[in-house]
Amino acid sequence: MRRTLTALISHIVLVVALIVTVGVLGVVAANVETTRNEKFTGVLEHNVTLRILENDTAKEQGYLKELLDAFNAEYAEYGIKAVDANMDQYTDLEKGGPFGYGPDVLYQANDALMKYVDGKHILPLPVEKLECADQVEDAAWNAYRATVGNDTYTLGVPVNIQQPLLYYRADLLPDNWEEEWDDDKNGVPDMIENWTDLYRFSQSIRASSGGTKYGYMKSLNDGYFASGYFLSYGGYVFGNGGRDTTDVGFSKGDGYKGAKIIRQLASVMNLECTEDTITRNSYSRMAQGTYFATMTTPDVYTMFVKEMVNAGYTQEYALENIKTVDVPRLPVSGDLEDESEGFKDMTVMGGVNGYAISSYTKAPNAALAFVNFATSYKMIGRRAALLGISPARKDVATELGGLNETINENLAGGTIYVMPSVRALAQVWTPLQTFCAKIADDVLTGKNMLVTDDALKSGLMNVDKQIYDAIHTLGGS
Amino acid sequence: MSTAKAKVAKAKTKKVLNVLITYCILIVVAFVFFFPCLWLILASFSKSGSIYSFDGFFPTEYGLNAFDALFNDTVMYNYPRWFFNTLFIAVMSCILGTVLTILTAYCMSRFRFKSRKAMMKTTLVLGMFPSFMGTIAVYIMMTQFNLINQHWGLILIYSAQAPMGYMVQKGFFDTVPYSIDEAARIDGASNMTVFFKIILPMSKPILVYTALTAFTWPWSDFILPKMLLIDKDLYTVAVGLMSLGETEFARFAAGSIFIAIPIIVLYFCLVKYMINGMAAGAVKE
Repeated sequence: MRRTLTALISHIVLVVALIVTVGVLGVVAANVETTRNEKFTGVLEHNVTLRILENDTAKEQGYLKELLDAFNAEYAEYGIKAVDANMDQYTDLEKGGPFGYGPDVLYQANDALMKYVDGKHILPLPVEKLECADQVEDAAWNAYRATVGNDTYTLGVPVNIQQPLLYYRADLLPDNWEEEWDDDKNGVPDMIENWTDLYRFSQSIRASSGGTKYGYMKSLNDGYFASGYFLSYGGYVFGNGGRDTTDVGFSKGDGYKGAKIIRQLASVMNLECTEDTITRNSYSRMAQGTYFATMTTPDVYTMFVKEMVNAGYTQEYALENIKTVDVPRLPVSGDLEDESEGFKDMTVMGGVNGYAISSYTKAPNAALAFVNFATSYKMIGRRAALLGISPARKDVATELGGLNETINENLAGGTIYVMPSVRALAQVWTPLQTFCAKIADDVLTGKNMLVTDDALKSGLMNVDKQIYDAIHTLGGS
Repeated sequence: MSTAKAKVAKAKTKKVLNVLITYCILIVVAFVFFFPCLWLILASFSKSGSIYSFDGFFPTEYGLNAFDALFNDTVMYNYPRWFFNTLFIAVMSCILGTVLTILTAYCMSRFRFKSRKAMMKTTLVLGMFPSFMGTIAVYIMMTQFNLINQHWGLILIYSAQAPMGYMVQKGFFDTVPYSIDEAARIDGASNMTVFFKIILPMSKPILVYTALTAFTWPWSDFILPKMLLIDKDLYTVAVGLMSLGETEFARFAAGSIFIAIPIIVLYFCLVKYMINGMAAGAVKE
């Protein structure tokens, strides 16, 4: 009797386990199968609701509502309705998507979107059908291209280009900057034109304030921003245009000169530059006048303004005095105290934010119509006006002029190194961050272990090896 | 005589010194525990909202901006909704969890059946494993039951896990003399009558203790809601506060202070029952 009962219970447990397993596999298999089919027939699905995942700034500034209202009005006759997916802006499509909980259209950076390619979580798009197809730089499209076998697919639509900018307080410039800090007499302060003068200016601020105020401040351990120093002197992340993860190249070329620059910059900061504190406090510290300048992305401009208003300034004053400019030029010598060889443009790590369509959407044609609408001339122009982004569309960038045009030129000219669109990029940051923090710490604590060129070269080669090991030996790719 | 006086004086001094040292230690310990709370409370009243505008540990200017934003600026961070979501989940889990735990404990205490010991040992061992060990399995199961992104998914998990900690309640029921049950049965009472009419009215302290613990766990949990809730409007307070932007520290502090209020109110209302309940299961008579 007991044996029969045990056998019966075992069978029930086994059957339940099988049902659950088959159910899970069934869902995954069904999704894989449908992604293989041609989805973009050009025939709009009627009476569908699209869930759109946008970034928080777009939502906060009211752009998302404007976009959704405009799209819904345009496509009302088809019964297509776009709604805010109302999810975390960094929602992982891999997690909820296969089970039907992800958004239909998602807006993220190219490295975040392209990591979904391996699992076929986003759809290859017929981008030639889109209005923006000819208006976006080829370099921006490249960020969304992936090669499978002999075929190349485009899996995202560029919206805006991200590159670090120098933020500074115009009202903290010395009164006599036109006489003392404008050697080339071009009407632009030298300290925002090249790193050598920014370094000198930072030294003078620290000296005159008794160490309580700073010139340029930035968390030097932030690999995204710090990598620019290595990239500017011949280093690279991955070979073959960012696709060959077996070739890690921060130490290549004269990459060590970037490490020397980081070392010198650390000397005008404090120990907070070895960790994330400055990244978080730069908004309020700049508002208080403790920092003169920092480097960050264009989309956080409103946060600097908000902090200045919180600090007691008027909105107009804040808007007038928080300035953003292209990153300063670097000395060719790789030494901030030696400008004898002149200056060169700094290459910075950048990204291309854009839209992708989930493989799990039930209305791919309607989703494509949304992407087309959201990347139209009118909506990108509106987005740029409201959010201060640098549009990937050349026509909008040209019309807006100023930094928008410069950033597009930087992308075309190669001084923006677009983050490689490979999953292995995630393994880059920790080794790089550790090394940069170590350089800064070495200066500020007086250990002086990383002073010579050889020590810096060896340190960078070690970073390359650690990244390679993380990707290939430890299976982190 | 003088020796006796000296002895008395010495003893008095010793006593005063003892009290002084004890109080000093208590004050230091209280300060260690109280200071972070005080800091968080003051931070929630920071006018600027940023932690980096503080003068040392404390804000330079005070105001109610953070509380105002917490309840009125709900476009990005809908705190009132998160608060009611948390309340709903905690109350429902509390009710279901308490019922299941009490029933489990009562069964284990009063009834003798096959595999009882084995079940008790198994639940004891299973209870030793941290609950987050099964998160992936739970997530996949929830997708199959279509309970992702639903408050009821969370409520069912919390309620189902609650009886795993039935040991304290069983200890309490063990202290209730079995002769009471027998007397009731002689008078013709059924199992249900014995439980509802005789044992349960005597178990108020353990009921309160069980309800409080069943309430506080979902009230402050982060891992499960973070994993199962996708829609921002369904977030609980713990998940919602973690999603705040990095310059919203005062709002975070205000949200953290406010979330403590229901627990504090419940604690003061039910503390006398809770202490009785906690002590009740500890000693077997």
